[in-house]
Amino acid sequence: MNKMTSQQRKLVYLVGMILLLIPVIILGQPSGGMVDGKARPGGWLTELRSKHDLGENDLGAVDASGAAINLVLLGMRGVAVNLLWIELDKQRDMKRWYEMEATTESIVRLQPHYEKVWDMNGWNLAYNTSAEWDAVPDRYRWVKKGAKLLMRGVQRNQQATELYYRTAKVLDHKIGLADESADYRKYFVNDPAPEFKGGADPEINPEGKDNYLVAKVWYQDSTVRDDKRPQHILDRSLFLSSAGHCQLSYAQALQKEGKFGEETRAAWEQARRDWTEDYGRKVIHTEVSSEKFDIQLEWTDDDIKQAAKTPDDELRLRRHVDLYQKTTNYRYWRTRAFAESESVTAEAHRDLYDSKMAYTNQEFELAQTKALSGMTGFDTLMKRPEYQELVNEEQLVEECLLGWRIWDDIFQLQQAKIPEDYPLKWLIQQKLTSDETLVKSVNRQFRRLLEKNR
Amino acid sequence: MYFDPAENTVYWIYSLLNWVIVTGGLTLIVLMVSFLTLLITRGTEGVAVFGREILAILVDIFSLSPRRIWALSRLTYLEAYRRKALAVFVVFGLLFMFAGWFIGETKEGVNNEISRDQVKVYISFVLTSISWLTIPVVLIVGCFGIPEDIRLRSIHTVVTKPARRLEIVLGRMIGISMVGGVVLLVMGAVGHLWIVRQTPSDAQDLLTCRVPVYGDLGFINRDGQAEPYGINTGDIWAFRSYIEGSTKARAMWRFYGIDESVVDSEGFLNFENSFSAFRSYKGDMTRSLLYDIKFINPENSLSYTIDPQQVSENRKKLDRVPRKVTDGDKQYDLIKDFVTKDKYLHVEVSCLDREQYIGMARPDLYIRMPDNQFWVGYWKAIFGVGLRVLLIAMIGVSASAIVKGPIATILTFVFYLLSGKDAHDFMDQLFRGDVKGGGPLESIYRLWTHMNPSVDLPDNPAMLVMKYIDYLPMGFLWLCKQVIPRLQSFNMTEFVANGFDVPFGVSILPSTLVVLAFFFPCVMLGYFSLRIRELESK
Repeated sequence: MNKMTSQQRKLVYLVGMILLLIPVIILGQPSGGMVDGKARPGGWLTELRSKHDLGENDLGAVDASGAAINLVLLGMRGVAVNLLWIELDKQRDMKRWYEMEATTESIVRLQPHYEKVWDMNGWNLAYNTSAEWDAVPDRYRWVKKGAKLLMRGVQRNQQATELYYRTAKVLDHKIGLADESADYRKYFVNDPAPEFKGGADPEINPEGKDNYLVAKVWYQDSTVRDDKRPQHILDRSLFLSSAGHCQLSYAQALQKEGKFGEETRAAWEQARRDWTEDYGRKVIHTEVSSEKFDIQLEWTDDDIKQAAKTPDDELRLRRHVDLYQKTTNYRYWRTRAFAESESVTAEAHRDLYDSKMAYTNQEFELAQTKALSGMTGFDTLMKRPEYQELVNEEQLVEECLLGWRIWDDIFQLQQAKIPEDYPLKWLIQQKLTSDETLVKSVNRQFRRLLEKNR
Repeated sequence: MYFDPAENTVYWIYSLLNWVIVTGGLTLIVLMVSFLTLLITRGTEGVAVFGREILAILVDIFSLSPRRIWALSRLTYLEAYRRKALAVFVVFGLLFMFAGWFIGETKEGVNNEISRDQVKVYISFVLTSISWLTIPVVLIVGCFGIPEDIRLRSIHTVVTKPARRLEIVLGRMIGISMVGGVVLLVMGAVGHLWIVRQTPSDAQDLLTCRVPVYGDLGFINRDGQAEPYGINTGDIWAFRSYIEGSTKARAMWRFYGIDESVVDSEGFLNFENSFSAFRSYKGDMTRSLLYDIKFINPENSLSYTIDPQQVSENRKKLDRVPRKVTDGDKQYDLIKDFVTKDKYLHVEVSCLDREQYIGMARPDLYIRMPDNQFWVGYWKAIFGVGLRVLLIAMIGVSASAIVKGPIATILTFVFYLLSGKDAHDFMDQLFRGDVKGGGPLESIYRLWTHMNPSVDLPDNPAMLVMKYIDYLPMGFLWLCKQVIPRLQSFNMTEFVANGFDVPFGVSILPSTLVVLAFFFPCVMLGYFSLRIRELESK
């Protein structure tokens, strides 16, 4: 039996509480701020939080409302979040998109530092939800919502390398490569929503730039963060290539849209620099069969010799560089960027594009002249030893074959004899016999031209 | 709308019969148990006691005093007030002060169709919050009132007066409903103001209250054969079914009760739809899929088709069809020439794009009558919450007459949780045998033998016996299900949130009937329990 009186018991409780409070106060002491340029140490927890960048401020922008609701929920946040996720699934199945968006909002407020939540929900809005709408402007609006959500995720988690990458991916991959990419790319600069009055949505494109260029900056940001906090999405060599690829895609997109002026040439020139001087010079930590080396993809034989300490090392280093160059298709894109930066290439592209336009407008003589000029340009280019690899570049060869089809078709229309020898004959004959898929694709494109022609 | 209001249609005879069977059956069970208990414990004297009790009950029923009931109701209200039940307004106030932070702004207010869904979120939030704030208050006040009175012995000050125990139960129920009513009125008014304030000024017209006339829906497949449903294009949610474009596939609506009243003041019939589009290939992305609406009169084989229209997916699309239409050199009057003698209007919808699909459910096409004011639908939805409150007050008070406060609270809350559509659907599936695994014995057998639910049981007499035994608990479950209210029709929020008026026939009426149906059993159960309960026992 306890013989203590009620008052004694209360005193014991009080002493116990005070004793327990002491470690709590010591552990939880807040930071002392800066005094004479030196940080005054805070409690143990504060120091740990600061050391590992775990404080709300260190992680990113602070959301007062989200923090408030997390406190209000006490320990029930997990339960609330689970219920919200179940609700989100149900709303998605029932196509209640705006309600699902509202639920997404609640979830990200409750789990602001769980990066996968931003990642998954951003993807869900940009890819899954956008595809459920019929009109292209509607689809674009949901792509934007996904991108904006990811951007907010980055704001809240400024060290989250992968979120930078995911944001860039939506801007690059979804806007640039979707079936509706022609419209999406246009909308990215000239938003269809009336409130933007024909300009870009400042939330995702404040400077009104091309989607690839905006994505490139996000990729670059992700590579900067990767040094401090490595990502787990791709092999580092591939991950680092994203920004360079984005510039390459930009230059290709300009060509596809029929822009062959200085802008496109400059884009290729920038792509070449990004690829060889930036990406090619990045240090990649390689590991092949438990051998570890730090390499650069732009290394020449001399660089490898210099870096190697022994002849054996040199052999191994060369193997590593070669392997990683193959993995990232480095040499091909290097060649392509160099080739496209040349004025002769730009001219050849322009000629083939002009020939298509002239053929569509039934200006056959002009179309034939331009096609021949383009074919001559590429013939000269591909025969140069440094650009021989381009014969395997599908897009480029397809373009050449289409130019040849136009040129050839006009001869047939005019019932004229096709010359024995003509530029690119060697390439065309080789591809016609060996690459059925390519020929089918060219024929399809040619049929479309014929339809327009009529 | 993502549900069919017709699911709540009241089948008068069936409902009444069901009520009589369940209520009568339960009453009979209670009386039989009481009678047998008395007979066993007191022998023949028990029969006399039973007779006297029945007589006393009848006397109590026929001697009800409205004045005493009102006095008890007032006391209940004052008691709840003094126990700070109205402190719920503090939570409500806090919630609404900061709600705007969490729900987000209507940034795309310029585009009305987008704001419609934002407004929907606001309305859902207000009505759901009101519901989830009021119900706990009523639940706690209702479930703790009588047990607390017994514990503090304050009930003696009432039962020693001429007040009858039936009046105590009734007074409690009315008093608690009054508390709920006051809370609802204040919250409803504040919620209304909040919605209006939160909706951007250029989107105020979205606070509408459509009055639809729904029809029946049937389908014709691509070969021209009638089908109850169209094609499922792979949706998990099979609410809508689809018709294939450029084939004989059609969706056929039949609207009943059509006369001059459906024509608006400008002489138009307003057909509003929310069709869904499904593309089997991308096709022409510069426009949405096309559909047309054809009016048919089967009596005289007249038909008239409107111009092709584009599907406006995930939005509402209004097709205004003039009453007087011209087809070539012929002129028709849609009401006079197309409405049949028995007041039916037949409408066919077809998809015009080859190998593409348009999806629809019954409520996806309706004739839109002149809209009501937003507040009409909103306050009807508040009334719906009020009916829930009433039901909980009744169940809570009768439960508190049987068991102690915390148990009564849990019991009533479980009743409430089980009264949703999902829980009832699950129970229905159990009875129909749609849930794999069988009854309790079969489940135990399968667990024990590690037998997969999809594997058939061995074919032997023991298994047959086991299956028959399993019917018993299933029967008990069926009875339990009948006692659990079905609150599907109480969900009036969805109508208002989606911009519709709350229909009387399929929402207000069935909900009111459910409350009325529970009134008599709850009052009698509470009264009977209080009558036989030992009030000296805490």
